[in-house]
Amino acid sequence: MKKSLLAIALLSAIYGVAAPATALAKEVNLLNVSYDPTRELYQDFNKAFAAFWKTKTGDDVVVKTSHGGSGKQARAIIDGLDADIATLALAYDVDQLQEKGKLIPKDWQKHLAHNSSPYTSTIVFLVRKGNPKNIKDWGDLVKQNVSVITPNPKTSGGARWNYLAAWAYAQKQNGNDEAKTKEFISKLFKNVPVLDTGARGSTTTFVERGIGDVLLAWENEAFLAQKELGVGKFEIVVPSLSILAEPPVTVVDKFAKKHGTEAVAKAYLEYLYTEEGQEIAAKNYYRPTLASVAKKYEAQFPKVNFVKIDEDFGGWQAAQKKHFSDGGTFDQIYQK
Amino acid sequence: MQFKFSKYAAALIASGIISLPITASANDSAELEELRGLVQELSQQVKVLARKGEINEETADAAKKTTPIVKASSSGFSLSSPDGKNEIKFRGLIQADYRAYSSGANDVRNRSNQRAGDLDANGFHNAADTALLRRVRPTIEGKVGGKYGFRFTPEFAGGSASAVDAYVDANFSPAFKVRAGKQKSIVGLERLQGGGDIKFLERSYVTNAILPNRDLGVTVSGDLLSNKLNYGVGIVNGVNDGGNISTGNEYNGEREYTARLFTTPFNDSTSALAGLGFGIGGTYTKFTGERNLNFTDTSAADATRNGLPSYVTDGQQTFFRYAGGAVADGKRFRITPQANYYFGPLGVIAEYARVSQDVSLTTGGSLAAGGGGTNTAFVAGSNKKLKHDAWQVAASYLITGEDASFKGVKPKNNFDLDKGGWGAWELVARYSEINLDNDTFKNPAGTTFTGAYADLSTSAKSAKSWIAGVNWYLNENAKVALNYTHTSFDGGAGIGITAVNAAGTNVTDRESENALLARFQVAF
Repeated sequence: MKKSLLAIALLSAIYGVAAPATALAKEVNLLNVSYDPTRELYQDFNKAFAAFWKTKTGDDVVVKTSHGGSGKQARAIIDGLDADIATLALAYDVDQLQEKGKLIPKDWQKHLAHNSSPYTSTIVFLVRKGNPKNIKDWGDLVKQNVSVITPNPKTSGGARWNYLAAWAYAQKQNGNDEAKTKEFISKLFKNVPVLDTGARGSTTTFVERGIGDVLLAWENEAFLAQKELGVGKFEIVVPSLSILAEPPVTVVDKFAKKHGTEAVAKAYLEYLYTEEGQEIAAKNYYRPTLASVAKKYEAQFPKVNFVKIDEDFGGWQAAQKKHFSDGGTFDQIYQK
Repeated sequence: MQFKFSKYAAALIASGIISLPITASANDSAELEELRGLVQELSQQVKVLARKGEINEETADAAKKTTPIVKASSSGFSLSSPDGKNEIKFRGLIQADYRAYSSGANDVRNRSNQRAGDLDANGFHNAADTALLRRVRPTIEGKVGGKYGFRFTPEFAGGSASAVDAYVDANFSPAFKVRAGKQKSIVGLERLQGGGDIKFLERSYVTNAILPNRDLGVTVSGDLLSNKLNYGVGIVNGVNDGGNISTGNEYNGEREYTARLFTTPFNDSTSALAGLGFGIGGTYTKFTGERNLNFTDTSAADATRNGLPSYVTDGQQTFFRYAGGAVADGKRFRITPQANYYFGPLGVIAEYARVSQDVSLTTGGSLAAGGGGTNTAFVAGSNKKLKHDAWQVAASYLITGEDASFKGVKPKNNFDLDKGGWGAWELVARYSEINLDNDTFKNPAGTTFTGAYADLSTSAKSAKSWIAGVNWYLNENAKVALNYTHTSFDGGAGIGITAVNAAGTNVTDRESENALLARFQVAF
């Protein structure tokens, strides 16, 4: 009896240690849960990383991606979507993974350079060719005959950047008078005929369905629409002021640990910071953070007068609470 | 509303009603410009309405992924998560029976029951006609996290409430499932058939008399070889023949080991053998009964404290009881080869079971319940291995043409007087018998009929039963069943109310039992 138990223990040890190690050496699967407009970026990046990882380790890595409104994606992960990696639109949504799901450490933003934002972007206007409504700046969006397309800030990270950029402009114009600022935002949203749940949905509304005069868009999304979705049909307008959007990335530690993919997930994100990763970001119209690549693509990105989330809004926690939580300014102005 | 508006606007644009004035007033550029603006505005409104429709659809689709699914069907009522990984089901089984006896006794001879009046001249009470609730079992079952499940089935029939099933499951894969708690024993084929699906009102001697009913412990089971081979192994507390274990602690520390293999080798073929299944099951334990109680107070279905069973007929009347001083004392081994076959409307089930039980005789002891009192004294040299066996062959045939199966019957046409449906009708027949070891009725030395493990003049040493019946399935959930059963006995009676004599010459056969059993059942 004891001998057979010993034999079983030995066999278990052999299979328990050796067999999985052999199996893992062949294929690693990762799930990157991202926000709406990063489809093209991560299509390109996943291929490059798979080739890099194969060369480095001999392993095949297969990265699946899921896209949607940033807030919705964060909620999906908290509700159990087994993401190894989260690449969301704003830090607040990643914070939720810690606060509501305990899926990542509190100091997640310190794990990678630039507060874990390997690339940045901003908010610009996409208008139809010839800019028939002569839209130049935020002030033009509240005119009576202008139809504005933006997603719902309750579900879309991009929409929250749009909202805050508009808010910053209105505050500046109105000498920080909050009542007048709210009135401006209220007028702007009265000109929004359709609220999509995510940025890609709004692009569809504006570009494919032909609705609206101006799309408030991620810069990368605007470039994509102009150069690839509707060549010659659109123009980009850079407003006098916009916001520096810093989409963050993180390993979802709890799930990656469960899958045994921590190392490859970390390498995946680190690869975003390499010259190759930054080139791919720039080619997909995201502003690179690596100086050498940023200089190389300097001409591609217009100079913008930025406000910043930390400096001008007290960080994402404060901005979320004031503007987008239940009963916040968005609820107040949108219910009017 | 949105749809109507968009249709209206689209129709206006498409039909040219709006454009006609444009042509008519082509020279008036201001009016032309105004009309062009109107068309553009309408066009935008139509597009916006259409897009809102798309977004609503997308939102509805997304909501489907998070909205719980509520189901109410003939299979029961359930609430589940959209991904199916979390679910709770409410099911139920209610059986209202009537039993009528044209002949037969209600218990072994000389078993006094003051509520039934005085014993007759032969030492029996007649079996009493009665209406009763046989099963009243609401069930709550479900799963969480996809792999983990539970089931809780209380029983409210029989005058008191108890837990029939109360277990948790871990379904790691179809080939590896773990179940812990109070559950059906895995060894018997007919036992594994649901209480609402059995073809007769009562199961056969194989199932009711020899094999265990419910037990407490852990079982591992699964399907292998493309579902052609089902296996099960278990470690349970152990329960006496036909027994249904209580959910309390056990006084005996020994475990019972159970195992079963069942194969359906042709289940993926279209041949006549596709419905053939056969296998073998067994149990083993070294088991001792409780030593300080009044062992005469035994009953058929419940675990008895002496570790020994009593046996009942198809009409649920007790025909065998061990002697008051007999106690389980040693190994118990059961084996049960089994087979079933389904082909079109025909169903056949055949089972055999043999139990080998070590038994000793005791004297003295306290009548106090609950563990108090004094231990009984063992009679030296009285330990004996007693071997009892039982078998059954049962056939069913759906005369309305439905396919027979191990599970319930779904009528082709439900019973409906308005539409002319008559439900499904099934004819059933079974022969079943149980034979007890001759040594059961002799003293330990095997020389006389006195001082035995059971008294042949009170308990029969065999019972042979046949049943014929009809099942009427009104629909998938409602069934009416009628069985006529005849049981004959070997032994079990004597002359007057005297005990068996040493030579056994005053033993006669117990009067045959004839009973009509009826049931109306609703299961969901």
